Amino acid sequence: MREPDSAPGMTAGGRQLPASSHQTGRPLFVTIVAILLVAVAIGAIVGGILLSVPAGEGALGSLQVRLGVRSEEGMQYSLQILLAAIILAGLSALLAWGMWTLQNWARTAVILLLGAIGLYYGLTVMFDAAGQIFGGEQVVPVGTILRIAFSGLFGVVATGLIPGAIIYALIRLDAHFEESPGQRAFIDRCIRHLLLATALSAVLIVFLIILFTLAEAWEAIEEIGLNTMLLGTIWRPGSIIGAEDARFGLVPMIVGSILATFGAIVLGVPLSIGTAILLAEIAPSLVREIMRPAVELLAGIPSVVYGLFGMVVLAPLIRKIEVPYNTGFGLLNASIVLAVMILPTVTNIAEDAIRAVPRHYKEGSLALGATHWQTIRDVILPAARSGIIAAIILGIGRALGETMAVIMVIGNSIAIPKPLTNNPLTLFLSSARTLTGNIAVEINYAAGAHRSALFFTGVLLFLMILLVNSLARYLMRERLSS
Amino acid sequence: MLLPVSSDAQLARRTVQLATGSLARRKLSQKVAFVFLWLAGFLVVAALVWIIGYVMVQGVRVINLEFLTTRPAGGVSGEGGISTTIVTTLYLVVLTIVIATPLGVGAAVYLVEYAEETERESRLVSYLIAIARTGIEILAGVPSIIFGLFGFALFVSAMKLKFSLLSAGLSGACLILPVIIRTSEEALLAVPRSYREGSLALGATKWQTTVGVVLPAAMPGIITGVILSVGRIIAETAIFWVTLGGSYRLPASLLSSGRSMALHVYMLASETRAFEKAMGTAAILIMTIVMLNLIINYTSRRFAARMMGKSR
Repeated sequence: MREPDSAPGMTAGGRQLPASSHQTGRPLFVTIVAILLVAVAIGAIVGGILLSVPAGEGALGSLQVRLGVRSEEGMQYSLQILLAAIILAGLSALLAWGMWTLQNWARTAVILLLGAIGLYYGLTVMFDAAGQIFGGEQVVPVGTILRIAFSGLFGVVATGLIPGAIIYALIRLDAHFEESPGQRAFIDRCIRHLLLATALSAVLIVFLIILFTLAEAWEAIEEIGLNTMLLGTIWRPGSIIGAEDARFGLVPMIVGSILATFGAIVLGVPLSIGTAILLAEIAPSLVREIMRPAVELLAGIPSVVYGLFGMVVLAPLIRKIEVPYNTGFGLLNASIVLAVMILPTVTNIAEDAIRAVPRHYKEGSLALGATHWQTIRDVILPAARSGIIAAIILGIGRALGETMAVIMVIGNSIAIPKPLTNNPLTLFLSSARTLTGNIAVEINYAAGAHRSALFFTGVLLFLMILLVNSLARYLMRERLSS
Repeated sequence: MLLPVSSDAQLARRTVQLATGSLARRKLSQKVAFVFLWLAGFLVVAALVWIIGYVMVQGVRVINLEFLTTRPAGGVSGEGGISTTIVTTLYLVVLTIVIATPLGVGAAVYLVEYAEETERESRLVSYLIAIARTGIEILAGVPSIIFGLFGFALFVSAMKLKFSLLSAGLSGACLILPVIIRTSEEALLAVPRSYREGSLALGATKWQTTVGVVLPAAMPGIITGVILSVGRIIAETAIFWVTLGGSYRLPASLLSSGRSMALHVYMLASETRAFEKAMGTAAILIMTIVMLNLIINYTSRRFAARMMGKSR
């Protein structure tokens, strides 16, 4: 921030100080930068003309050949080069004029420009050094790492010294640069619009997601048809069996997604709500201090780790259930893994909802002689109802959208899951595939209508999640307004 | 009683009706219920301890210096270490954070500092702001495989960036954008109003106030959000499975393919069944996440304490 006493037009002891810092003279440094910029402008013009006008066989001619602007057929891109040179020269001249007249915008532009060049250079050095250290079979020995790091550092310092010094000096010379009130207002307005643009970036992304997935799915909607995809019970992509026999029915995946999510809710929600009540109402603060980070940690663990755990630990356990064709990989495994994965979401939101119940509800109930449990059951939980339902619905959204952990443990068969024996409960031992899994398993080798059908799977998933999440949002908003 | 029918009154009446059973029976039912609640809490902690404990115990056996410094062997052998996957994960973290943080913090600054007064000035802008808020809420709920599909369609195919660090970084940035916006918004809202008033009263413009006073005060909160997003990127697999390509070599530039640690775990376990190596990588992932969580706890606690202390 600028110091108050360096502002122009300040009065001291009733006497008007020099109205502008111009009188203190233009620092030598700024002159140098301006001259450098003029040099860049002249260089751009000269270089542009030299490169775009056909030269003889001399050094210039061979340079043109080496840079690829001249080949056997004659000159290439000469118009583009000339245009780029003129634009570059114009911009540098403008900046040079701005620096010469001590305009603040020119200073900012020069600083940003040098910063961008530095960033680019830093990135190059980083990739280069990392390639040397980690690129081979084995990481190079410590001595070599030190040498590479040292030479890289030296390179950065050596080449970054001049731009860095310019940036530093320009920042220090703050007081010399003019900023007229009009310019200040202009910049404020620009920043306001720029910030509005960043605020709209999320919407832009949502819009692009809808646009691109729909555009890619359009082929499937036109060629295969909505009915076939939404009601078809056979998924047999053409790239495996031959295009004429391809079938793209999504019912098996829709059923799989719904069953896996249902299982996760049945297993996970009682645990989550119980934990939420425990944390919000019953547990002493010491237990809370331990359990809350534990629940947060559950949310942070990568989904592949859950999947790996399901593959290595849960699958052999489930295989012990003696039912024919029970592989251990299937809906039950996926439901358990998903139940643990939705725990943090449901617990946190349910706990918030329970905490948001006004204190006097609880106090009134206790004062009337109800036990703590009666208060929880008959006063607090009903009052927090919509928040708890929202938590469960958000859990459903999370379970529907989970991908990697599920494809590792669910078996990914493309048939509609059926009970393995006469006992209907063995349905959950059967292998299945979810909508998310369908995309992840096949997208990397799909092409044509198959690929488009996978994008349609994505559209369907997106719509389901959108529906579920807006329901949860509606319930939460209702809670806030009541 | 002639109370107005409010929800309070209804609840109170209901309690009166219920509090009539015998005291012993009510106390017994409370005991039973509490046992179940404690059981639920215990099960949650037990699940966490089981998962982390198992992966760590299995993983630590594999982890040694050689494992950390060798690159994965290609093909389906499942041999080799994880050196290049660590570096690729770091690249992805830096890339996504560099892309998403300016956008996210800018959006949060606008929504907290500017939205209110601009809303009053123009109806168009107030519509835009409402749309922006809805967009952020929607984006926060989009599952990661959809981001992957989107990145595959836009960055990999349409923009011809191929399976590369850049495609993956851009798609990953979309994933963490709502996280950064939300945490930054909360951090900015926690800055006391008096800070802004003081700065504005000294003649600073809105922008100077924001950059010089509000953002520094909110910085620990914003950093918490950034660390949270780092964790999300390290843990993310689905997006990178679809956009990163999965080459075991070190990416030589932004446009070359790579493999993050989480993706490596998936490929080892699903494609080559090399469970020991997968456990080793998973153990490293868990250690990183635990460390990040500790940092988040520390910074967010300090931020809360600071804001409480200063607003007094």
